[in-house]
Amino acid sequence: MKTHTAEHSTLKGSDMMKKSMWLLTVIALVAIIVAGCGGGNTGSGANASSPAGSANSGTGGTGGAKQNITLTYLASQGWIKDAEMQLAKKFEAETGIRIDYQIVPSDQYFNVLKTKLNAGEATDLFGGQSGKSEISLNYNVEKNAVDLSGEEWVKREDPLSIEQLTLNGKVYAQTIWDTGSSFVIAYNKKIFEQHGLTIPKTYEEFKALSQTLLDAGITPLYEPIADGWHHVLWFAEPGPRYDEVTPGLYDDLNANKKKFVDDPTMKLALTQFKEMYDLGFMGDNAFSDTGADSAVKMASGKYAMTLAAQSIVNDIEKADPNVKADQFGYFVIPLADNQIYYINPGGPSKFIYSGSKHIEEAKQYLAYLAQPENLQYMLDNDSTISNLNFPGLKDKYNEEQKKLMATYTKKGTDIQDYVNYVNPQWMDMGKDLVAMLGNAIQPEDMLKSIDKRRADMAVVAKDPAWAK
Amino acid sequence: MRNKIYPFYFALGTVGVYFIFFVVPGLMGFYYSLTDWNSYSDTITFIGLDNFKTLFSSGENYVSYIINTLNFTASTVILKTAIGLLFALILNEGIKLKGFHRVMIFMPSIVPMLVVGLIFKSILNPATGLLNEALRWMGLDFMAQKWLVDANWAFKSIIGVDTWKGAGYIMIILLAGLQSISRSYYEAAEIDGANSWHKFKYVTLPLLMPALVVTTVLNLLHGLKVFEAVYVLTNGGPGYATDVLYTAIFKEFSMGRYGVGTALSSLLFLFMTIVGYFVIRLMAREEGRDQ
Repeated sequence: MKTHTAEHSTLKGSDMMKKSMWLLTVIALVAIIVAGCGGGNTGSGANASSPAGSANSGTGGTGGAKQNITLTYLASQGWIKDAEMQLAKKFEAETGIRIDYQIVPSDQYFNVLKTKLNAGEATDLFGGQSGKSEISLNYNVEKNAVDLSGEEWVKREDPLSIEQLTLNGKVYAQTIWDTGSSFVIAYNKKIFEQHGLTIPKTYEEFKALSQTLLDAGITPLYEPIADGWHHVLWFAEPGPRYDEVTPGLYDDLNANKKKFVDDPTMKLALTQFKEMYDLGFMGDNAFSDTGADSAVKMASGKYAMTLAAQSIVNDIEKADPNVKADQFGYFVIPLADNQIYYINPGGPSKFIYSGSKHIEEAKQYLAYLAQPENLQYMLDNDSTISNLNFPGLKDKYNEEQKKLMATYTKKGTDIQDYVNYVNPQWMDMGKDLVAMLGNAIQPEDMLKSIDKRRADMAVVAKDPAWAK
Repeated sequence: MRNKIYPFYFALGTVGVYFIFFVVPGLMGFYYSLTDWNSYSDTITFIGLDNFKTLFSSGENYVSYIINTLNFTASTVILKTAIGLLFALILNEGIKLKGFHRVMIFMPSIVPMLVVGLIFKSILNPATGLLNEALRWMGLDFMAQKWLVDANWAFKSIIGVDTWKGAGYIMIILLAGLQSISRSYYEAAEIDGANSWHKFKYVTLPLLMPALVVTTVLNLLHGLKVFEAVYVLTNGGPGYATDVLYTAIFKEFSMGRYGVGTALSSLLFLFMTIVGYFVIRLMAREEGRDQ
C-alpha cells in the first residue's frame, strides 16, 4: 500500500507523458491485433460467400466452373499420406477447392476433435477411427456427420469397411486404408536359417525357438513397450482365436452375456505373454524401447523378430541398405496357439461435419479421392500401402506377403473392431499390461479392469445390454 | 487506515474479473463434480456424491494416486529445503566464483520442465543413458538401475529430477533471507563463545524462519500440483506406479469422464485450501512474533 501511494504522488509531468505514450502504444497494438483477427474473419467470410454465389449460379454436378473455396480438414498425425496431399493439389487445380489440412499430434488428437465437436466448431472434414462403438459414442455421427449412403463410391468400397461406418442403415464416412495389412511378427530369415528354425505353429514351438535364440546370444524379440500402445496388440490381435475356442464369444461379450475375466483363452494368452517377458525374450530394456527405433534395431541383427506392420521391411532396408527387405518373413502372433490372420476392416476414415457450409464440395472431394485412378495413384506412391480396400486395384504385395496370405487362409476380425468398448480403452490396457509384467497385478486383474471400464462406458452410453 | 484513501469502487473491476474468471468457474466445478457430466451424452444429471464414492471405492487406484501425491509433496519439501539451505549457506560465505555458482545452481529452475524431462529421460535410459553408462564405466555396475521403468525406482527418480530442478530456486530465496541477517548477531554470538553449530541453530535458523515458511508454502503447493514431471518422465508408469492426482485428472478428462475428473480436482482444491490456510496462519503467527 505504502509504495503504491508513493508512486502515485510522484506521478508528475514527464511520468504522465511516459504513461500516455505507453497507453498509446498499447492501444495501437490492440488495434493491430483486432484488425488482424477481423481481417482473418472477413477473409473467411468472403470465402464463405463466394461459393454460395457460384453454387447458386448452377455449377451443380457439372464441376466445370472453378470455385474459390477452402475446405478445412482436421486429422491425426500419420493419417494423411503425402500421396493424398498431392491428389488434393490436383483436385484444387481442377475444381478450385483447396484442402486446408490441420494435423494434430496423435496423442492429443481425440481430445481436440471431441472438444471441437462438442463446441459445434468442427472443421468441414474430420478424421476419425471407424468401428460402431467408436462412431456412435465418440463422434456421435448421427448428430455430427453427414449421411453419405447415396454416394457412388459406397458401392465400391469393401463392404467390411462400410459395415464399420454404418449406423442404423446409414453410412457416415469414407475409409481409404490398407485394411488387409495386419500387424504380424516379422522375422529375420537369415537368423532363423542359421539356427535351423522354422515358423512356429503353437506357443510351445514359439517358446522353444525363442529360447534357442536367447541361448545363442540373440534377443528374440524387439518389443517397444514405452510407446504405450504397441504391446496391447499382443493381447488384442489374437482375438479371432479367442472367438474360435469359445464360439459366439464376441457376440456374447457385446450382449453382456459373458465377461473378459471368464474367458480361459484370454487368460492363457496373457499368462503366456507374461512368461515371454519373464524369460527375457523381449530383452532387458523393453520398458524403455520405442517403436521409432524398431527398424534400426532389426537392421542391427541383434534382434530376430518384432511385431510390426508389414511395411516395416522397407524401413529396415532404409535404415541399413545392406539389410534387404526380402531377408524378412512373416508369421502371426502365436499366443494361445493362434493361427488365424486377423483383419482390421476399419481404419482412419473421413467424415463430413454436419455443420459445414460446404457439404457438397466435401462430398465432391471424397468422390475424387475414391476414383479408381486416384486410388491407384495413392497405392503406387506410398511405401506404407500394399493395397487399398477398393476392388480392381493393382496391389504391391511382396513375395513374403503373398506367402503369408497363402499360409494363413483362415481370417477373422480383431477384437477391438468387433467387441464394443475395447478400442476406447486401448491405452489403459497398455498400462494394465505393464503393471502385469511388473508383477503389480495378475492376468485376472487386468481382465477384470477391462470389464469394469467396459461397464462404465456402457452405462454412460445407456447401452440396453448393461441396463439392470 | 491508509487504504481508505481509495474509495472501494476502485476495486470493483478487479473483483468483478476475479469473480467471473475464478469464483464462478470454481463454484461451477463443485456443481459439476456432483453430476454425471461426460462426453458421451448431452444431458447432465445430478448424482449426488457418487463421483466421490467412486474415488474412494476399492478396486480403483485413486487412493494410491493421493498417496503418491502426498509422498511427492513431503519428499520434495524436505529435499529441496535441505539442499537449497545447504547451497545457500555455502554460497553465502566467501567462496570463489560465488556469482558463477549461484547462476549455475539456479539455472535448472528457468528451464521448462518438459525440456528437463526429455533430457532426463535420455540420461536415465537403462541401456543407453548417461547415468548408467557412467556408473558402468566406473565399475559400479551394481548401482545401475532401470531408473524410470522399475516400479521401485521410478517414483524416486521423478522426485530426484524435480529436486534437481527446484532446489536452486529455493536456494535463491534462502540466500536473500540469509543476507538480510545482520552480522552483528554473529559477532555477539562469537563473543559469547558460540561455535558454528550454535550460531546456525540459535541465530541463522530463527532469523531465517520467515524465508523458510515462504519456501515451504511454495514447495507444498508445487508438490501438490505436480503434473509435468510425472507426465513427461513416466506418464504414470510403469503400470500405475507413479500416477499422481493431476495425471489422473488429465486421464479422466481425456476419457470423457468430466464428472469424475472435476470431483478429483475439487477434492484437491479443498485440500490445498485447507493446507494453505493453516500454513498462512502459521506464517502470520511467526511474523507477529518477530515484531
